[in-house]
Amino acid sequence: MRRRLLLAALAAPALARAAAALRVGSKNFTEQLVVAELFAQALEAAGARVERRVNLGGTAIAHQALLAGEIDLYPEYTGTGLGVVLKEPPEGDAATVLAKVRAGYAPLGLDWLDPTGIDNGNALLVLPETARRLGLSTLSDLARAAPGLVLAAGNEFADRADGLPGLRRVYGMEFRRFRQFAALGLRYAALRHGQADVVNAYATDWQIATYGFAVLADDRHLWPPYQLAAVVRHGVLGDLAPALLALGPRLDNPTMQELNRQVDQDGEEPREVAARFLRGAG
Amino acid sequence: MEWLSAHPGLFLEAVGDHLLLSLTGLAIGVALALPLGILVAHRPRLAEAAIILAGVLRTVPSLAVLAALLPLLGVGFTPSVIALALLALPPVLVNTVIGIQGADRAALDAARGLGMTGWQRAFRVELPLAAPLIFAGLRVAAVQVVSAAALATFIGGGGLGDLVTQGLALLDTGRMLVGAIAIALLALGTEALLGMLERHLAARVRGA
Amino acid sequence: MRWTVRNLDTVWAALLAHCGLVAASLALALVVALPLGLLVARRPGARTAVLGSASVLYSLPTLALFALLVPVLGLGFAPALLALVTYAVPILLRALVAGLGAVPPAVLDAAEGMGLTRRQRLFQVELPLALPALLGGLRVASVTIVSAATVAAYISAGGLGSLILTGLDQGHTEKILVGAGLVALLALLLDAALGAVQRRLPASG
Repeated sequence: MRRRLLLAALAAPALARAAAALRVGSKNFTEQLVVAELFAQALEAAGARVERRVNLGGTAIAHQALLAGEIDLYPEYTGTGLGVVLKEPPEGDAATVLAKVRAGYAPLGLDWLDPTGIDNGNALLVLPETARRLGLSTLSDLARAAPGLVLAAGNEFADRADGLPGLRRVYGMEFRRFRQFAALGLRYAALRHGQADVVNAYATDWQIATYGFAVLADDRHLWPPYQLAAVVRHGVLGDLAPALLALGPRLDNPTMQELNRQVDQDGEEPREVAARFLRGAG
Repeated sequence: MEWLSAHPGLFLEAVGDHLLLSLTGLAIGVALALPLGILVAHRPRLAEAAIILAGVLRTVPSLAVLAALLPLLGVGFTPSVIALALLALPPVLVNTVIGIQGADRAALDAARGLGMTGWQRAFRVELPLAAPLIFAGLRVAAVQVVSAAALATFIGGGGLGDLVTQGLALLDTGRMLVGAIAIALLALGTEALLGMLERHLAARVRGA
Repeated sequence: MRWTVRNLDTVWAALLAHCGLVAASLALALVVALPLGLLVARRPGARTAVLGSASVLYSLPTLALFALLVPVLGLGFAPALLALVTYAVPILLRALVAGLGAVPPAVLDAAEGMGLTRRQRLFQVELPLALPALLGGLRVASVTIVSAATVAAYISAGGLGSLILTGLDQGHTEKILVGAGLVALLALLLDAALGAVQRRLPASG
């Protein structure tokens, strides 16, 4: 700390930035707000001064803010970076996609840190009883049982390449019936009331933790990875990177479901939820 | 209207769903309200309780009724139909009770003199006399049900409301307007048609 | 109930927004319906036309009316307000015209005989006699508006409907039930309160 202050006093502009506040951004939904808080508090614990510029809107806005230097970092998903920002087809395994986004972001002066254990991609869920009764733990298992089951998913799932056509192509999956429900909440209600056997959702939805639904593993990698990682303006972190990287292994999908639940269902502030997690798990 | 010519099948399916929802809900509502009304009409305490209950049910907003059923019954057709039946109940119930209570004393005495039982009197004398009022209740109920069926989309019940919510979500104004206009025409048409029948019926009862 | 306890401010804000929307539309509807009612009450041709078009407006389903206004006025408070006024005006108009129509001609003649001007007659005789009917209309209108304002959440006008709709979107049972329960309670309370006022008026007309 003293050494940094001394260097800053010597007025090397690039280094002076390290002593200035780090600006942590986020997009505008619960998980982003919680993870931005986790990043911010971890950096503060490591001695950094942090300014929060969260709730920026969608991917495009957060990315623009980063490019314009209005924020220094924000949490992003590898699949989103590849598909939405770089406009490449988000295909391949986790390592390939990470390598692609790193290569694609490098010319923009942006770094992808090593991803956390969170992968918030597509997911098919069943009731725990259904999983037990039919012996389901992967999508390959589901493909065997699917002809007797009803699937509920969003309106676009029937036509999207990563929806029903993808399930058919990769797993040979054919359901007895397909019901469309645009709102995620209706799909969860349909599952709980036995009006659908399988629903499409996202892997870190808090409802999964609340109702104990079983997430079936995508064992043949139909869906691209949406690993969550910090995207950072090149060079701003200095020696603070390990503080963020240390968070990575402590975060996984069940943990994130629970943190999202505490905000959405219990109505707690992302700041409290993040602080309790860092205290409890650290 | 381009949306309509491009997707006639989807539109007809939504109209079909809408009618099925409305008719089923209305039928269940009437099937409950009519016997209940006949049963309580001659028991002043029960009649008063039924009218208060109907008043409460009438006052609760449709969307609240639909939404409150989701945690109990889940999504889709069944909870939607039950909510619509609950909305159809009050006007028919209240008008049945009032209609029977207002039936002509002299006619009833004559029926009693002919040795009719309570149920015979109800079906041969009171109900025919109360018919115009009951039918007016049915008209109100039908318009309300056709309107509220547009809200079934919020709990996955389908119908023309789907076109409106999809249109707004997809920024597809054509689809939204087709849905909205169809819902409006259906409600206005129901009101007009049943209103006409009602006047016809009233004229016949008065003429008889 | 954890969400509710921790978000009392959100729930309170939704309730206030709902009441605000209802109060604003009722007030605006009164401003429209009162002069219009007075204007047409004594003109049979105009009365039939106004009452006829009013009943068509009233029969339009909520979701349809909101959706029809979106392309014109966009989302938010303004189109919601306009739609709610559209519902309230016909009810008030019909009640006012009926109330004015029920004033016995003998009373009007007597007022004229006492030398009251038209204006005095309106304010001292006709309106007081039509007040119970108007209040009855206000009661029906307010219940209708509380209900319709719930659906206004769909076009981003806020209020208790937004608790219900986000609850439905998220599968958050507590939000659904809190929103639905409060809006039902609001409608019942308003109906009971106006009913009580109605009963306290001197029975006249």
